[in-house]
Amino acid sequence: MGNNGTYSGVNKSGQKIVSPDYLLFEAPREKVFMTGSEAVKEAVKRASVDASVSYPITPQSEAAHLIGELWVEGYVGVYFRGESEFGVMSEVAGCSMAGARVITTTSGPGTLRAMENFPMWAGSRLPIQLVLMARGVNSPLSIQPDNLEISFLLDTGVMIWHAENAQELFDMILAGFVVAEKTDVHVPIITAIDGFFISHTRESIMIPPEDIALPPYNPYMSPTPIIDAEIAPGRYIKDPFVMKSNYISYATHASWQWEVRAAIERSRPYAKHYLRGLVEEYGDPEAELVFVASGTAASQAKEATRMLLDEGIKAKVVKVKSIRPFPHQELLEATKNAKYIMVPEFNVVGWLEREVRAAFYGKSNATIIGTPRVAGGMTMPPEIIYKDALKILGKEVSYVL
Amino acid sequence: MATLGPYHFSPYPTAIVDGVLTPPPGKGLLYNEIVDEEVAMREAAKEMLTRENPTIFVGPLIIYAWNEEAKEMAKLVREMAEVLNAKIIPMVDYRPKYPKINPEVEINPNHPNLTIWHNNIKVCIFIGVHCHFANIALKIIRAETDCLTIAMCAKMGHEDAMITVRDQHPEDVRKFIEIAKQVKKELGK
Amino acid sequence: MSFNIYKVNEELREFMPPEVLELEEKATWGNPKRGVMDLPYAKELLEEHSLCAGCPESDAFRYILASLPNPEDTIIVNSTGCTSLVFPHIALHTVHSLFGNQNAVASGIKRVLEYRFPNKVKDVVVLAGDGATVDIGLDCTLQSFFRQEKITTICYDNEVYANTGGQESGLTVKGHVFKMAPKGKQWDKVPMWQLAIDSGCHYVVRMTVSSPRRVEQAVKKAIYVAREVGPTYIHLYTPCILEIGRNSDEGLEEMKLCDKERFAFFEYMTPQAEEVIKRKKEEGLI
Repeated sequence: MGNNGTYSGVNKSGQKIVSPDYLLFEAPREKVFMTGSEAVKEAVKRASVDASVSYPITPQSEAAHLIGELWVEGYVGVYFRGESEFGVMSEVAGCSMAGARVITTTSGPGTLRAMENFPMWAGSRLPIQLVLMARGVNSPLSIQPDNLEISFLLDTGVMIWHAENAQELFDMILAGFVVAEKTDVHVPIITAIDGFFISHTRESIMIPPEDIALPPYNPYMSPTPIIDAEIAPGRYIKDPFVMKSNYISYATHASWQWEVRAAIERSRPYAKHYLRGLVEEYGDPEAELVFVASGTAASQAKEATRMLLDEGIKAKVVKVKSIRPFPHQELLEATKNAKYIMVPEFNVVGWLEREVRAAFYGKSNATIIGTPRVAGGMTMPPEIIYKDALKILGKEVSYVL
Repeated sequence: MATLGPYHFSPYPTAIVDGVLTPPPGKGLLYNEIVDEEVAMREAAKEMLTRENPTIFVGPLIIYAWNEEAKEMAKLVREMAEVLNAKIIPMVDYRPKYPKINPEVEINPNHPNLTIWHNNIKVCIFIGVHCHFANIALKIIRAETDCLTIAMCAKMGHEDAMITVRDQHPEDVRKFIEIAKQVKKELGK
Repeated sequence: MSFNIYKVNEELREFMPPEVLELEEKATWGNPKRGVMDLPYAKELLEEHSLCAGCPESDAFRYILASLPNPEDTIIVNSTGCTSLVFPHIALHTVHSLFGNQNAVASGIKRVLEYRFPNKVKDVVVLAGDGATVDIGLDCTLQSFFRQEKITTICYDNEVYANTGGQESGLTVKGHVFKMAPKGKQWDKVPMWQLAIDSGCHYVVRMTVSSPRRVEQAVKKAIYVAREVGPTYIHLYTPCILEIGRNSDEGLEEMKLCDKERFAFFEYMTPQAEEVIKRKKEEGLI
């Protein structure tokens, strides 16, 4: 059958099974007006999801409980509320080990509560999808948008995609399952958004009909045996100690870790196809002023680009859609004419600026500036980006805010 | 590059680091080049017929009769071994065996180098092994031994092997056996 | 059929090590009446283990694995500790995850297997030490009982964190001196079996591993009840002979002593559990 099997029949919810390409690129779409949380529900509804486990934490509680409604409606097979994010992520790991397509959600302190599970998911080759609705991390406490938590996840061995808006989140959730479940990938995928900005505001999104769905997960395409006593070998332990004997090479553990990172690299061609590129460009292709941004910061940068154009200043936004794998080549290509690269971010540490600097070292002559940087729920008005850009270009600000 | 080892003290850098990915459908990998499947198969057959101690490492997906295809593949692996004059050494499971495996009769993904060194294997085929464990083993073999690895994968293939083909089902393995017979005749073996 | 995953293909038989062929031919697959009386004759599901000589945990393992009614459809979930060293050698699909999350992982596995195989029996059994069950895993363990997950939890109580070198655990007896409790444990042994009852387990047993037949009975009852009613809990005393300063051959004696005191046999069952056990006894399965 290979990877391009014929798509026919219906899934367990009675929806017609269509190819991922059809669902993402060809199916007729209808405009609806809804929040990001509701978009999550619509995506999961069309994704032939087998299992989900929920736990409340703002701002992802709504998306989580909406998945529960899908369970009542017959679109999700297994669903319950777990006892804490640590418990939930372990329960979700169990679901995936037993052969289910599984999705869950969390935010801020919840992500950190669950942290031990993420490298475990990756090393166990579990293609779990986590929708991360980024919010402030304690202390002090804030439920407002702030994506500092993404920096903690960068080296856990999972794929990370950052959606700019609800439309992108909808499509990324569907594409996420398809890419994560490829046999030569098969690692967890985190689809992240900037909290309330996306989860709770309404926007127009285009969605395909609800009577079609992704092909269901085939657990026997997994690169490790599924825990169900149905596949050889019969003697199999998911993730044993690989360090206990002098005759076992410690290199096994090293090799295993490198295999997980290799899996993320192997996702590139698939991610490129289903996301239509790991980056997206907006604005003047010849611009010497380039904003490299991800998530909501990209939206704000696009607004600033329009304002700069009114002043006769050419600018461009290169939106980074995939953080892991990081699009080194695409970024270098998209910024080859850049003199100034501004990296606006919604966190205090500037993790995206760090990634850009690491990727560009020795390969680009552009000046990289990590500004503006806001956090803890602050907005990033395009006027601020515009003002910073003019300062960098050495131009006079033409009006007062 | 997915070149012949021994490559380095540790399994890093892996083939991916040098930009080698799994081959696209219909193709194979010959070291770090994407080639037609037939080309990869010919090279694989040639190496198996010309290097020392050719061995087929057969994994649980073919050893055990867990579905119909496994039974067919077992017959074909036997045939392949006869055509290539190769030994068969099984990978019966993936567990880390303590204290030590018997490298004469088995291979294990946690310490594949023991079997390769003990039997002085210079060329081998991996078939019927779950992709994750094949990749673990192939990275260690490439780092620590000079064995030429060939991966016949039912899924997307293995970039850490020196030669790999993908989507291998019974009809593809039959094709390989035919190619091997041809190569054998050409080499006068 | 599940145990095809142990059946070696004809053409490759001659290349297999003998223990693989024995597992196919001489293990007691497909017979729910199997039990500890098969131990001298049948191929065990435990190939070998690297535990200390005379370790009572290894006895417990052998009795439990011999008593599983449907081993070919049983998944065992483990947690970090001495038991993890044994797990790679068990001839079943098993899981080692983190530390303390074993009941959470088991909940996910059980629910999905029920969903994927609605017409098949799939038993999920948790096997973990005292630290994993009562300290770091108390939350997930009790919560799986609250949720009425249909799994069997077996706790290997050696009253100490043995694998990390002998530190005090929640199940250590008050006054015992271990590492991290140099003045002796300051508070009482946690009555985990009572917590299990109060959290909703339908069948709870506390015992030592001194009698193989008794262990077999407990395991079978626990699994059959878990299949139909809800969570079940078995609390086993498997002393760490090293940490309590005993010799390799004194494990059995230690357990027999405790049979008369803090690990005296204790069994609890709800009316629904009792009904299931009665029925299985009538069918000759217990």
